[in-house]
Amino acid sequence: MTETVSPDATDAPAAEQKALLEVSGVVLRFGGVTALDGVDFDVRRGELFAVIGPNGAGKTSIFNCLNGVYTPQEGSITLDGTDLLKKAPAQIAGLGVARTFQNLGLFENLTVVDNLMLGRHTKMRTGFLAGMAWWGRAKREEIEHREAVERVIELLELEPYRGQPAGKLPYGVQKRLELGRAIAMEPKLLLLDEPVAGMHLEESQDMARYILDVRDRLDLAMILVEHQMALVMDLADRVMAMDFGVPITVGTPEHVQNDQRVIDAYLGAG
Amino acid sequence: MRARTHGLMTRKYSDDLRLFGSTNAKLGLLAILLLYAFVPVFVQSAFWLSVLDYAGIAAVGALGLNLLTGYTGQVSLGHAFFIGIGAYAAAKLGGPDDVGLPLPLWLLGATLMGAFVGALIGPFALRLRGNYLAIVTLGLVFLGEHVFRNAKEITGGNSGTSVQTASTLLGADFKDLQFLGQNFSFNQGYFWLIWGIVGIAALLCKNLVRTRPGRAMQAVRDRDVAAEVIGVQLGRYKVGAFAMSSGLAALAGALLGSYQQFVTPEQFNLFLSIQYIAIIIVGGVGTIFGSILGALVLGGLPGLIDQYSASIPGVTTGSGDSGFISVFSLNQAIFGLLIVLFLVFEPRGLAALWLRVKAYFKAWPFSY
Ligand SMILES: Nc1ncnc2c1ncn2[C@@H]1O[C@H](COP(=O)(O)OP(=O)(O)O)[C@@H](O)[C@H]1O
Ligand SMILES: [Mg+2]
Repeated sequence: MTETVSPDATDAPAAEQKALLEVSGVVLRFGGVTALDGVDFDVRRGELFAVIGPNGAGKTSIFNCLNGVYTPQEGSITLDGTDLLKKAPAQIAGLGVARTFQNLGLFENLTVVDNLMLGRHTKMRTGFLAGMAWWGRAKREEIEHREAVERVIELLELEPYRGQPAGKLPYGVQKRLELGRAIAMEPKLLLLDEPVAGMHLEESQDMARYILDVRDRLDLAMILVEHQMALVMDLADRVMAMDFGVPITVGTPEHVQNDQRVIDAYLGAG
Repeated sequence: MRARTHGLMTRKYSDDLRLFGSTNAKLGLLAILLLYAFVPVFVQSAFWLSVLDYAGIAAVGALGLNLLTGYTGQVSLGHAFFIGIGAYAAAKLGGPDDVGLPLPLWLLGATLMGAFVGALIGPFALRLRGNYLAIVTLGLVFLGEHVFRNAKEITGGNSGTSVQTASTLLGADFKDLQFLGQNFSFNQGYFWLIWGIVGIAALLCKNLVRTRPGRAMQAVRDRDVAAEVIGVQLGRYKVGAFAMSSGLAALAGALLGSYQQFVTPEQFNLFLSIQYIAIIIVGGVGTIFGSILGALVLGGLPGLIDQYSASIPGVTTGSGDSGFISVFSLNQAIFGLLIVLFLVFEPRGLAALWLRVKAYFKAWPFSY
């Protein structure tokens, strides 16, 4: 592992700044299966960090540990110095971690607007009684957050779909809506699990453009999990390649692309 | 001001959020208010009024069950238990020989009692998902019936208890209304009382499901892991929905007790829970309107079957009568059949049918 020196370690200002997310020594087991076997990496503010690796490498498992769906047996995960391992998923969302799912996690019977409004859940306060009564804050909050949602709709060009149930939308639009719900949360850290999986080339390119838009317009760090290399090479600042629950190397896209072990892992898997 | 074609266009989010914003919705509201005011005046038959009164009581309970099952996705067979709690709470809180609270307060007290018991049981019951929750709540019904039979002090045991509740609001006694020199019957007065409460409950529920807590409930229903990951605390919303559902069930129970003026433990059996499930399935799972529609269609059905059982061939109406099915079994069979038929042919219920009809007429005369 001595070779996995970060290529911009000489870049003094970046190295000085403390990372937003620090993951170290994470081990996750399911009975006999070891999904993650000692994972270390960090993500800096504003960075687009990619994780690649063949199917079953443990990419989705990393996300599940980050947002508290799974609790790793060993290791530590901190966001802005806060220990995430002691938090429940809903609390982690409140701390500013948003995510999309590899196999879609939309609320299918709810409209596009309602799905996006749910992204605002932790930013709102209305409880059961106030909601029932439609009193002062309940109404004010609805209008205020509807405006925030409208900005997301505009950014991701979801205008034609506002009132439609999420489950009835074309697949590509569902993926985009899920991205929208995540950014409606105004996260510090956005986790994207294979955002272009199952898309044809044109849809993939659109999605890449939306991801870049989000990156340019919003102040957040992203972790992009991808199974295919091409998208990652275009978008990412740094890439971590994984195989069998272990990081093989971390570095710039060029560095990772030319790493013999990465090539072997993909050839071995392919 | 620009013309508002069809009343479908809105220009501000606050317009979008109005419940009765469009012209059609306003007309609909007006029609409902007129029906509310005049149905009891024109329908004078005590029997038909009682059918409507029972339907209204069922609508209140169905709104509750729909919040839990339709909106939050938690299937409960325990509704009858909470309806029972409400009925006995009304007997105690509203009875002049007991606590003797005035009308709004015994209704509120019974509601809170149901919600409180629901909130106590909820955290245990809701650890379990799907079918397990159904089984635990099934146990609740049997446990409840047992308690109702044996807590004689409160429930009167097997022989039941009379429910004598205050029925006066702002000087008007719903049991004996006098208005504009007219006298109105018990059934007429209770129509206004019961359906007034249906209106208030429906409005509160509608507001709930279109604001933050109601959206969170639906998120839990549609995909619980995703809901958690965006910050929805599953436990909070499941237990909250259970408490509200139990509260509305108890409110329905309180109205039932007060309307019948007498309740017995076997009324709050499993079959009552199943009736409520049938009501929301037939009316429309996950819709406020459907809860009421379903209750209108099915809430008065047991009364109707009872009334007309003599003219339905094969139904035993009394001893010595040679039918092959009792009134009770016929009831069960019809509710069972309706559940199956709707689940197979129109799982989204009458409310979905209604929406399709409405969508058709919205575009009228362009029927493409
Ligand atoms: N809930 C689970 N139960 C058992 N094994 C799991 C579970 N989730 C993931 N795994 C296993 O962990 C490994 C990594 O899976 P995953 O993180 O989904 O990989 P990737 O996203 O890279 O394709 C696989 O061997 C998978 O079978
Ligand atoms: Mg995966």
